[in-house]
Amino acid sequence: MTALSIEQFRQIATRIEQEVDKVIVGQNEVVRHVLISILAGGHVLLEGVPGLGKTMLIRTLGQALDLKFSRIQFTPDLMPADILGTEILSDEGKQREFRFRPGPIFANLVLADEINRATPKTQSALLEAMQEGSVTVAQKTYRLEEPFFVLATQNPLEMEGTYPLPEAQLDRFFFKVNVNMPDVGEMVEILERTTGKETATADRAATGAEIVAMRALARAVPVASHVKEYIARLMLATHPEDENASPLVKKYVRYGVSPRGGQALILGAKVTALLDGRYNVAFEDVHAIALAALRHRVLLNFDGLAEGIKTEQVIQELLKEMPK
Amino acid sequence: MKPFEELLWHLKRWIRWRRIRRGVTWGVRGLSLGLLLALLWGTVGLMQGWFLREEFLLFIALVSLTVTLVSGGCAALWPLPHLQSAREFDRAFHLRERISTALELHQTPGVTWEELQRLQLADALAAARRVHPYRDLPLRIRPFEIILPILLSGLLLYGYAQSGSFFQAAQQARQVQAAIQEQSQTIQEILQQVETNPTLSEEQKKALTAPLQQALDELQTSPDLERSVSVLVSAGEKLQTLADPRVETTAQALQQAGQQAAAQENSPLQAVGEQLTQGKPTNAATELLKLDPAQLSAEETKQLAEQLREMAQAVQQSNPQLAHQLNQAAQALERGDATAAQQALNQAAQSMLQVGQGQAMNQAAGQAATQMQQGAQQILAAGGGNQTAQAGASGQQNLQSDAGAGSGRGSGDNPNAQGGPAGSNPIPQNNAPGDGGETTYEQIYAPSLLGGDGGPQVGVSSGNSQDGQVLGQTPSNPSDPSQSLVPYTEVLGQYEEINRRAIETGQIPLQFTQIIRRYFDSLKP
Repeated sequence: MTALSIEQFRQIATRIEQEVDKVIVGQNEVVRHVLISILAGGHVLLEGVPGLGKTMLIRTLGQALDLKFSRIQFTPDLMPADILGTEILSDEGKQREFRFRPGPIFANLVLADEINRATPKTQSALLEAMQEGSVTVAQKTYRLEEPFFVLATQNPLEMEGTYPLPEAQLDRFFFKVNVNMPDVGEMVEILERTTGKETATADRAATGAEIVAMRALARAVPVASHVKEYIARLMLATHPEDENASPLVKKYVRYGVSPRGGQALILGAKVTALLDGRYNVAFEDVHAIALAALRHRVLLNFDGLAEGIKTEQVIQELLKEMPK
Repeated sequence: MKPFEELLWHLKRWIRWRRIRRGVTWGVRGLSLGLLLALLWGTVGLMQGWFLREEFLLFIALVSLTVTLVSGGCAALWPLPHLQSAREFDRAFHLRERISTALELHQTPGVTWEELQRLQLADALAAARRVHPYRDLPLRIRPFEIILPILLSGLLLYGYAQSGSFFQAAQQARQVQAAIQEQSQTIQEILQQVETNPTLSEEQKKALTAPLQQALDELQTSPDLERSVSVLVSAGEKLQTLADPRVETTAQALQQAGQQAAAQENSPLQAVGEQLTQGKPTNAATELLKLDPAQLSAEETKQLAEQLREMAQAVQQSNPQLAHQLNQAAQALERGDATAAQQALNQAAQSMLQVGQGQAMNQAAGQAATQMQQGAQQILAAGGGNQTAQAGASGQQNLQSDAGAGSGRGSGDNPNAQGGPAGSNPIPQNNAPGDGGETTYEQIYAPSLLGGDGGPQVGVSSGNSQDGQVLGQTPSNPSDPSQSLVPYTEVLGQYEEINRRAIETGQIPLQFTQIIRRYFDSLKP
């Protein structure tokens, strides 16, 4: 049995959210999804226009989690070695030798800011780290310290000089969370906090060990067989060639959700159930994280893109129509 | 109680409630289905004349109740696996898959940590305790499901109220079938009597049983009224043809001769005469065979010869063969040839025996023919004389030209005016307009029954009556169950059409066609 009880799980999660709330105004759903992703052991892609606090959110999360945090500002001239690290010639001691100098990826919480500004070559440098939790440099593999999270941001507006993430890279992200414009009340609060004499900061709410223990507890949450079957049917129904696919899917979807999408649904639902004070996954938990887990995994075809169809529409229709 | 047992207890309680709920819901649906089936089936049954009034109600009640019980019972007893039910209750009671997960964890331990499983079970149990199945899953029946059986019941009641004629037709059909059955039994009895009649020869028995057996076979195939009457009348006709009228004349002559012989005391033919006087030619033949001319005195021989000649003279007209044999015996006696006399007397006895057998044959055939006629009348009477009502029930009237049998007994001045079987011999039926006599034939085919109010009254009057008295008439009160419901003109049209076809197909002899046409012309309103 884990060292954590469900009550402790909820208390820590609540504390983290409270600490983030000290700095970030509103965006509760964004914060919740990022937290779920972290507790499920997944990476998050935050998408939103500049100035909505994406970077601030992740930085605050780093402060609240008492984890080693590093930020990488992605630019077109960023090289993989700038992220992973490189071997340098060292003349310390009696003989000169190449020693590995770790890059910023060697942290617990990595902020990949404006990830779509880097070249695909640099973006792909993250692939191994995100999937395997390790990096290989000069034929040597270095294990990344647990917990390891990549929280990336991207700007949907500026297309000039950007390199859209390839599908394989997108699939590595556990959740894709859209950061929306705050409402008037939240905007006023933001202005007050950011223009006052004191700037709010987050205190540490959880340690890395606690996060690891919470991940273990979340993975142990049972899922009823019919819920798993529902998730499997839901995933398959996102594929246009599937017999259960809706007309919308058949018409506008090019590729459906990969098995990673199903894993994200189940793990995310497990964390959601625990946060809700339950020890089992319910359909409601799946629905709560379905958009974040699937929106970047459903790829629209030309017709869908041309007609302005949103992947969210497709997913919501599937959730509505799929029998439980 | 252990937590899981308590959880199961809750689950079973919910399942019980669900069974009741399903039973009631599907029972109501079954009631609608039952009523619908009863309506359709009952309508067909009414058209086919299957039901009497009480039987119809019983049928409706039985079908409705049976379908309701079967439907509700099946729904209530339908297998409800615990896990599947738990999933449905999770949704119905918003338990967020707690119960189904707990059941699965119990069935497949080791999926998660024991502590987590225990906590999950406790969480599921706490949620289960908060459930009120009667409140959270109330018994609901849609208004349509209530209105439908009410509507169907109303339709059935309306149909029941409007189906008097169908019930009446069914009643008559039953009576006809019962009468047909009764006649079948009667024919069987007659057949038995014929078979055991010692007087009849085997050939006579065979001749008598053939038409009877044929009639019995045809009656046992459950024919309709017309066909059964036709069969009986036809059998009666055949039986009547078996009767030999000469036998009766001979028997009468023998009886008269026997009286003379019996009057002569101590004469050799006294015993023979007594038997003949009693109308027993068979016994008389036996007595005659006992005579031995060789043992008679001369005076007795002479007296016997004279008596034989008198007897021969008496039967000369009706049975010349017997007369000849008697004369031969007398001549032989006068010649003193006892052997020849004995031989002639034996031949005469044989002829007398044949007369007795013929008499028995006539009697049996006559009785059987009479029984056939009476049987036909009884079947017609069972039909109630309201054939049109039955026609309304069956939808069509399958009349056959030879089925219009009637053996009407004239009620006019002529008491011997026996109506023959219609169709086969229409002339002497004595049922043409003005012929007089209230006959069974007219009860069926002569449209003396008029449907509706205010229709013309048609009566069959006796041709011999002084004032054209109406003899056949049915009440025209609509509430009267025996009232004809088919319009007179329609019935008349049907019969005219049948008659026309019969004439065209040559079933009616040419010399009678004009008579029949005049008959139908006279019936036109």
